[in-house]
Amino acid sequence: MAKATASYSYTDDEFVAAIRCGDDRALAQLYRLHLPMISHYVLQNSGTEDEAKDVYQEGIMVFYEKVRDGSLELSCQIKTYLYAVCRRLWLKRLTEKTRFGGHLDDHEPYLETGAEADLVEAEERDRRFATMSEALDLIGEPCRSLLEGFYLLDKSMQQLTAEFGYTNADNAKNQKYKCLVRLKKLFFTNYQESEP
Amino acid sequence: MMTEADYYALFDAYRQGELEMPARLNLERRLAADPVLAQRFAEFEDVTSTLSGYGHRLNTRRKLRAIQAEIDAEQAVKLHSDEEVLETGHPTMPTLHISRTEQKLREFWQSHRATMMVAASVAVMAVFTTLLGIEWWRASQKPSLYGYTVLRREVERIKRTQRAMNRAIQGQGDTPEAAKEGKFSGTGFALTSDGYLVTSYHVIQGADSLLIEGRDQQRFRAEPVFTDVAHDLAILRIKDKSFRSFGRLPYSFKRGTADLGEKVYTLGYPREDLVFNDGSLSARSGFEGDSAFYQISIPVNPGNSGGPLLDERGNLIGIISGRQMDVQSAAFATKSSYLMRLVDSLSAAGAGHPYTLPRGNQLAGSSRPNQIRKLQDYVFVVKVYE
Repeated sequence: MAKATASYSYTDDEFVAAIRCGDDRALAQLYRLHLPMISHYVLQNSGTEDEAKDVYQEGIMVFYEKVRDGSLELSCQIKTYLYAVCRRLWLKRLTEKTRFGGHLDDHEPYLETGAEADLVEAEERDRRFATMSEALDLIGEPCRSLLEGFYLLDKSMQQLTAEFGYTNADNAKNQKYKCLVRLKKLFFTNYQESEP
Repeated sequence: MMTEADYYALFDAYRQGELEMPARLNLERRLAADPVLAQRFAEFEDVTSTLSGYGHRLNTRRKLRAIQAEIDAEQAVKLHSDEEVLETGHPTMPTLHISRTEQKLREFWQSHRATMMVAASVAVMAVFTTLLGIEWWRASQKPSLYGYTVLRREVERIKRTQRAMNRAIQGQGDTPEAAKEGKFSGTGFALTSDGYLVTSYHVIQGADSLLIEGRDQQRFRAEPVFTDVAHDLAILRIKDKSFRSFGRLPYSFKRGTADLGEKVYTLGYPREDLVFNDGSLSARSGFEGDSAFYQISIPVNPGNSGGPLLDERGNLIGIISGRQMDVQSAAFATKSSYLMRLVDSLSAAGAGHPYTLPRGNQLAGSSRPNQIRKLQDYVFVVKVYE
């Protein structure tokens, strides 16, 4: 697998195109390509290997979601973009750890990459997802599994009817509707409460 | 009439693109026309899209974890068997192989570096402050008891202003002798005409060499002959071969005790020049009742130590020693009787020259300025080099 992906090298544009189409091999290769840079950077700036991986995955996630959205406007290399994103993320983590009182050891000049704006957006999205995860925890079973089955795993109503043992599809539909209304209520109240 | 559940079913179908063309257009038209419905749809859309986005994120996170796990696994394998280097490995980054302990130490150092440096500098400063403080305290307190201050003068401190004044007056570089200034100075006076002098013990304490300097700038090298720490006395002898004699001493030494209330005065070198001060004998005992000393009401200053204390008739009755800090104008002088006893015992022991003390007193009856005029040639600065 590793050798197969290594045999073909993508350009930046090809990466974006392939990832937009959901090509997991391109994602894997992109991941491998820039991991050493970020892990080196984090290790240089008083981080551990695990922290480096976390930050890198978060950074890749920001990039990936922008690409899937189709809203990525790349004004520089992917490498630079990732560097900028991960740098910001690491800086934030260091500040949270409150031990940080110094200067970051940069290898490259920090460029204006649009990463700042993307990160603000990503933070907002994180908050939404965190609220959603909380709401899902709160509504309990079987609502949670039902909604996850339908919206996350893209199962059909027939499949769910069978799985949850409802007498007919209409019953399942009705149950799902009630669950969705409850989720909606929970989600919106929590989301407004968590507004910073 | 459609219920909300029906609407939700419709929305679900719409989202998944299951609606037929006419129904789809119908719904879109109604959404555009009906703001209540549009609001309901927006909320529905908000929740479901977040839900599915959340699903996608979980999915992606799983994928990234898998990729990372795969990389970790490859690395573990590579560590065991150093086979081929992958293009996507670490070749561009020079990696440092360090032991686990060192890794821990490095992490510790990196995270606590700033704190440790602050702590270290505080410690260093504390140590130096303490050392300097102790040294200073010891230097200033060494020869004295509590509240009792000896009166030898630290020349270093005064030297700078003195030099600045010299320069201002002469308009050119100061004299080369200035560099040879002693560290401390006190006062001394002639004991015999053949070169013995008396001063306070604390003046010459710790001295390497002594220099005697008279009013007319004549200088002699001297050495201590005998010291009496308890009574703060020291007898010096001039070493110079060229020294002949002081001439006949105008004062005599009193063997008995002086009376309370007697008018007394002293000459000394608290500055570069001879200074006169007078007062009365206030008590026949010294600091904390020490019977070897008088208490006198003469304002004395550092540098007066070792100076002669004379009564109105020109009898030498004491040697200035120190003063009490917390009492107004209380100075102390060693009684001359103790000096005499010391001299007698030295003569009896027969060490070195015999001491020929002055007999007559040429000062009695003359006015004080006259007394001082005769006396001033026999009072000297004692400079101490450590």
